[in-house]
Amino acid sequence: MTNDELIAKLKTIVQPYIQDEEAFKNLNEDTDFINDLKINSANLVDVILDVEDEFDIRIENDDMEKMISVKAAMEIVNEKLAAK
Amino acid sequence: MIGNDIVDLKYSASNWKRPRFLDKVFTQNEQALIFSSENKHETLWLLWSMKEAAYKIHVQQFGERFFNPKRLVCELISEDKGLIRIDDNNYFTTSAITENYVHTIATLSASTTNMNSVFKAEIASHHIQSDILKKALLKSISKTKQLPLQDLEIKKTTIGVPELFCDDSKLPMSFSLTHCGRFSGFVY
Repeated sequence: MTNDELIAKLKTIVQPYIQDEEAFKNLNEDTDFINDLKINSANLVDVILDVEDEFDIRIENDDMEKMISVKAAMEIVNEKLAAK
Repeated sequence: MIGNDIVDLKYSASNWKRPRFLDKVFTQNEQALIFSSENKHETLWLLWSMKEAAYKIHVQQFGERFFNPKRLVCELISEDKGLIRIDDNNYFTTSAITENYVHTIATLSASTTNMNSVFKAEIASHHIQSDILKKALLKSISKTKQLPLQDLEIKKTTIGVPELFCDDSKLPMSFSLTHCGRFSGFVY
């Protein structure tokens, strides 16, 4: 999967939870889930679970801890997919 | 330092019954507390708001963000008082629970006084809500601290911690903003 494909998938996953349309339109690697997209933290749990379902992976809490940006999410998904 | 968090109990932010949700957020002890309580929904969001309120202090203290609610370990001392541990750091919480919301205030010591407010928010965009909330906080601070309202401003640090400025100089004052569903709140 290319980075663009991965970003596109993450974009679809976060869409139901975002509260800032502008930041969502411009979503890129540097986008922060909370500070930019204004996703509330309970919904960030949903994002993590949706990511697990979409890619059929499991994210332990130590990895989840870093998942506050698109870039961090991409790194973790790539790591987990490579380990499959 | 101070932090606060509100959860609208009738606004379903998240479906906690979905598979794996609880294990991502709550320790085994916390899950036992939830399942042995009379109102599981209320206890769950009470523990959540305790974690969030304490986390908001932790970020101010250490300037480091993370997303791992389970690393914040909750203990209920009484119906409304709690103790949160994040690694070696302890935080004290006091919560107000109504049929509509849970509002938790976290502090570094057990006995501190604070100014706080919870009010009904307009259903509006995040941007407008956030603006109304900041204005309400500034108005309150202006009144209690006798500072001219037009000189007060909130700016966020690069990691997103809000700070208060008066006439462009930073005030050494900790405060915290929160919003969920139909409610907004602040504390300082």
